[in-house]
Amino acid sequence: MKWIAADVEIYAKEKDYIDTALISLIPITIADGAKAAASGGEFVQLIVNEAERQLKGRVFLFPPFAYFANEQREGLVQRLGHWTRQLMEDGMKHVFYVTCDDAWKEYETQLSGRLWIVPAVPLQNMDESYKHEIVRDQTSRLLNFFISQWS
Amino acid sequence: MSDKHRVTRRQFLNYALTGVGGFMAAGTLMPMLRFAFDPILKEEAGTDMVAVADVKEITTEPKRFDFKVKVKDAWYESEEPRSAWVYKDEKGEIVALSPICKHLGCTVDWNTDKEHPNQFFCPCHYGRYTKDGTNVPGTPPQAPLDRYEYKVKDGKLYLGKAKPRGEA
Ligand code: FES
Repeated sequence: MKWIAADVEIYAKEKDYIDTALISLIPITIADGAKAAASGGEFVQLIVNEAERQLKGRVFLFPPFAYFANEQREGLVQRLGHWTRQLMEDGMKHVFYVTCDDAWKEYETQLSGRLWIVPAVPLQNMDESYKHEIVRDQTSRLLNFFISQWS
Repeated sequence: MSDKHRVTRRQFLNYALTGVGGFMAAGTLMPMLRFAFDPILKEEAGTDMVAVADVKEITTEPKRFDFKVKVKDAWYESEEPRSAWVYKDEKGEIVALSPICKHLGCTVDWNTDKEHPNQFFCPCHYGRYTKDGTNVPGTPPQAPLDRYEYKVKDGKLYLGKAKPRGEA
């Protein structure tokens, strides 16, 4: 499911089945490291969109959790914790975060959802078919992670 | 002005021009041609048959083929990925099934549930279908998998629209 009215309508009817929230954590900066951040964000979006397409009956893809790259981590952890608690209270059983920002690794134990970090890949310099291949490979790893967490 | 700025601006222009060109081609030219030659196509965007595989690649074991179709939503025309599970049945006839689970739309896989071999399996709520796409009673899906319309031409398999069984 995506964050669009039509899917929310389905969600309202099928809550019991749609029990997994998917949130991408996207760092933003237009200073140093902007290009790497943007390209990481692009890659993450490709992967979560594809994951949603394949598992749309159970996974609800939310708008990204976006933040400035130099924001205080503690504050972010708190805000993300708030999102997660709210989603759980409202009926989600699993919350997954997908990010290209490996600074989250250090805070993993403080997060109540499960963290998935995608590798940094210079997508820009790749030809289409190779790019496709990589997104596919990364998506299928993520799908397997979901499936293993479900069972 | 520094070098950096000039490059950036040139890059921007490049993007802008590509954008406009692409937009003109897709947004203006194509529909006009289509109206001119075949007005009926207007409603049918996305239903044209697409070459998906060589017929000789198709065996009696379902195999997944990925392809792209053009779709038009409220704002723009884009390409969307599609997949099909394709095999030949006992009579040698080609069967092309949509992988979209009839429960809530996840993508089904072939033969991935060890307890129920040779079935299509949906990882979301464990929906199952037999090889011909019939939903297994007692699992969430309430209908068989859709079937793609297909045709074979010059040794290639073309797929059209996926339709509920009985209509295809
Ligand atoms: S979406 Fe396939 S079983 Fe629910």
